[in-house]
Amino acid sequence: MTTTVAVPHHPVESWTQPSRGLVGMACLIVAESAIFIIFVVAYIFYIGKSLTGPTPREVLDLPIFSTVCLLSSSITVHYAVHALQHSRIRATIGWLAGTVLLGGIFIASTAREWYELIYHHGLTVRTNLFGTTFYSLVGLHASHVIAGLMMLGLALLFALAGKLNQHHAERLEVVSIYWHFVDAVWVIVFTVVYVLGR
Amino acid sequence: MATSTRVTGHLDNPTASGSHRGALAVLQDWLTTVDHKKIGLMYIGYALVFLLIAGFQALLMRVQLLVPNNNFVSPEVFNRLFTMHGTTMVFFVGMPILFGFGNYLVPLMIGARDMAFPRLNAFSFWISAFGGFLLYFSYFAGSGLYGAGTAPDVGWFAYAPLTSRVFSPGHSTDYWTLSIFLSGIGSIGTALNIVATTLCMRCPGMKLNRMPLLVWLYLVVACLVFVTISPLTAAQIMLCLDRYLGAHFFDTQAGGSAVLWMHFFWIFGHPEVYILVMPAFAFANEIIPVFSRKAIFGYPAMVAASVCIGFISLSVWAHHMFTVGMGPGPNAFFTFATMVIAVPTGIKIFNWLATLWGGNIHFTTPMIFSIGFLFQFLIAGLTGVMLAVSPFDWQLGNSYFVVAHFHYVLVGGILFMIFAAFYYWYPKMTGRMLSERLGKWHFWLFVIGFHLTFDFMHVPGLLGMPRRIYTYEADRGWAIWNLIVSSGAVFQAAATLLFAYNLVHSYFKGEIAGPDPWDAWTLEWSTSSPPPSYNFAVTPTVDSRRPLWDRKHPEETDAQYE
Amino acid sequence: MEHENETGHAGVHMPLPTVWPVVLALGLTLIIAGMVTHVAVAVLGLMLSLVSAVGWFRNVLPHEAHEIVEAPIEPLELVSVRTSIDRIPVEPMHRKVIPVETFRFSTGLMGGIAGGIAMIAPATLFSLIKYHSLWYAMNLLAAGGFVSWAGESNQFLAQFHLQGFLAALAIHAVTSILVGSLYGAMLPMFPRWPILTAGFLAPLLWTGLLASVLNVVSPILNERIDWFWFVGSQITFGLVAGFVVNLQAKVRTPQFQALPFALRAGFHANLRHDDEEKDGQA
Repeated sequence: MTTTVAVPHHPVESWTQPSRGLVGMACLIVAESAIFIIFVVAYIFYIGKSLTGPTPREVLDLPIFSTVCLLSSSITVHYAVHALQHSRIRATIGWLAGTVLLGGIFIASTAREWYELIYHHGLTVRTNLFGTTFYSLVGLHASHVIAGLMMLGLALLFALAGKLNQHHAERLEVVSIYWHFVDAVWVIVFTVVYVLGR
Repeated sequence: MATSTRVTGHLDNPTASGSHRGALAVLQDWLTTVDHKKIGLMYIGYALVFLLIAGFQALLMRVQLLVPNNNFVSPEVFNRLFTMHGTTMVFFVGMPILFGFGNYLVPLMIGARDMAFPRLNAFSFWISAFGGFLLYFSYFAGSGLYGAGTAPDVGWFAYAPLTSRVFSPGHSTDYWTLSIFLSGIGSIGTALNIVATTLCMRCPGMKLNRMPLLVWLYLVVACLVFVTISPLTAAQIMLCLDRYLGAHFFDTQAGGSAVLWMHFFWIFGHPEVYILVMPAFAFANEIIPVFSRKAIFGYPAMVAASVCIGFISLSVWAHHMFTVGMGPGPNAFFTFATMVIAVPTGIKIFNWLATLWGGNIHFTTPMIFSIGFLFQFLIAGLTGVMLAVSPFDWQLGNSYFVVAHFHYVLVGGILFMIFAAFYYWYPKMTGRMLSERLGKWHFWLFVIGFHLTFDFMHVPGLLGMPRRIYTYEADRGWAIWNLIVSSGAVFQAAATLLFAYNLVHSYFKGEIAGPDPWDAWTLEWSTSSPPPSYNFAVTPTVDSRRPLWDRKHPEETDAQYE
Repeated sequence: MEHENETGHAGVHMPLPTVWPVVLALGLTLIIAGMVTHVAVAVLGLMLSLVSAVGWFRNVLPHEAHEIVEAPIEPLELVSVRTSIDRIPVEPMHRKVIPVETFRFSTGLMGGIAGGIAMIAPATLFSLIKYHSLWYAMNLLAAGGFVSWAGESNQFLAQFHLQGFLAALAIHAVTSILVGSLYGAMLPMFPRWPILTAGFLAPLLWTGLLASVLNVVSPILNERIDWFWFVGSQITFGLVAGFVVNLQAKVRTPQFQALPFALRAGFHANLRHDDEEKDGQA
């Protein structure tokens, strides 16, 4: 197929545009934020409106340790990207493994919290409005953590297999931005559920 | 090459590809394509199919309401009809057709070879399409308990607690929820793609303040999609949790709130109107200047007004809820916000008029549809301002006046511009012109039908006829108005069939278009019709808002004046 | 739209068509559809999703799959259907189409003042003929300013009242100047026959302005207004205003400066011709 050139090409001094990976991730984060806002609004709207127990004050403990783990994983993932940008693959592997480990601890402690709530306190999603909003909001966040862990885990596997190099730094950065977002959401969820809601 | 006869790719008939390939190969070609133009055409073709289906549903409803005490369809079927008509028109006609044009035009207009994420683009289309199929699969497999229904029948905004398991047994409501959830994923994917494409794929020289207004409007629409479709998705997740896991979000028995659903739905629902109407604005921004033979009046004001509309539209949702009883504070706020949004919209109307003013107006089919749009959208906006006054809305909320108002926006505004867009860009998409003669017939038939139906639909609303009623008594004084309204529907149906015939007939017999049949100024007209898969053999560079004007009139380029 | 041209030489890199997006979409849809049909459907969907996720991943990593499409370059002549017009050779930056000459804004203002003064005559005539008083029209106008006057008799309105005089003066002056300014702003649109346009437009503006608000502003005037004399007074206003305007000199707009010397000096007379043709140019 032939084609046509109606508008001629002539050089323009400097033409730089943002990276599409970063823009795409920013868009995804905006969209995800809107979803979280709706769930957070529902949670706040229903604080104290449950007709039956148990109440948050009776059953929720502050998850300080897992929060510290999750938030510090933001720092480790940042250093992982930084290391990859400077082609330090071994450091990248170390920081990535640390990130996955910290995220894993968070998920494990959430799982343990849920186990106790369900089997010791009898709180399920059908029990009352607190159960409904708590499990959906924290569960939504946890599912995002799991998705992030899967991406980071894949990156770690590729790094271990020796297939990760400096060219992938931007892609890892995109993943790391997602991870920062997940951490930031936890700050909101923590404040709303464990501080305001109690 | 200016008059190439080679025609490849088509929205209705992909087998018409130039070469002699088997049907299977063609199918494979379309299933696996990541070309933004083919995906755009698939979006448009798929939306057209659903347009015919949902239009047919509207006809059935108008037959049912033709005369008092009618029993043309059963009440259960009628409920399904208005639910499916609304849902289909918004999610599986409006959104896909606009995304289709966006997909096709945005990369071409900014001088890009494809979207930023071509595979995501294909994925977004397919998941939206499968969502539509899932919705209609409910007609065959809805498995409502004790004959309670097959297709969804809870209305297109599905107010709680009607959607709870108790009142909607079986899976019909789940089909509604899940198919909208799926199409929402696709919408967000496409919106993400449009933003990334616009920000990252522009050809050299295509600064943001040189982008065609169509691209600007699609950028605003895409940003709106993130903050409106996402809440809908969240609300659908909550509804699913209620229905499947026994959660209590909208369960009033357990302290849940039915009003919360209304808020969540309309936080999506009203900006959605702007998501649908802004692409219509976008088409008008391209078509009106070309056929006025003048540059658009007030480019920066148009961009600013679009962004303003985007922001303000996020704060008007509860004008759908004046009758709920929110109290004077929220009522006053949402009345005010709704009136304020008329300001940027008015700016746009005036800018279009100023573009027409003193222009050398060519009354081609796309142009007459655009002029129809200007008049009708103005009237639609005015009844919108009337309904924004909350006491007025208390009187007429949920009446046929409201139905007439929003159909004036959706049909008189958006559908007219979609038709205009078809007549304008069909030559680019297929290489052949649509018949102007049939186009004029289409326009006049449709205008007559539209005004018969929707002008007179205001009257039974003022006389107190509520929306969604199955039938009515003869002594209410609504009969003659409903008769007129239904008769208008016949004209519209005839016009639409004529349009469909024109699409097919012109594809084979239409006049060869050439690359630039309208003497237009944006980049999509600088490549052959239809464009090759790579759009531009050499990436263009631009110096102004009208690159082709500069090319055609080197003696006085736009670049000197901007 | 062909992808088969995989010749080695300089072509365009395009992403390779791939089946995985549609399969992934189908897989996810089937998972969701499993919720309303049967769990087996969801299982099938899950399998499809996993396979396609892996397939998609391998499609983009480590290198994005692409094909090279041959893109021969063939110059395309784009022709504008715009008929070329005989242009007056002027400066390059003359795109704005504005009149060559126009009126000053103050012209309308002066016309308004003159018309306002002239209008007193027919109004007084009306008072004398109908009510045998010099002051009736004045008091009627002033009544808008005094709530207490609303119920007064014709007798009262026929007498002289100082406060009525001052109020009427203020109202009349402000309105005349307002209408005059409005008129001045509109003049550039109708530069050719100011007396005619003034004679029609100014009364139209004034009547429209008053008729719409009169019931609110001055119910007493609204009750007793005699529309024949009212419009008559206004046409007087309009004609005088138009006459005054026409006495004033026109000013030359920047457009005039863009014209070549020969035209500015008045050697050619085809200015209008040029203006009309430029309408169609952009």
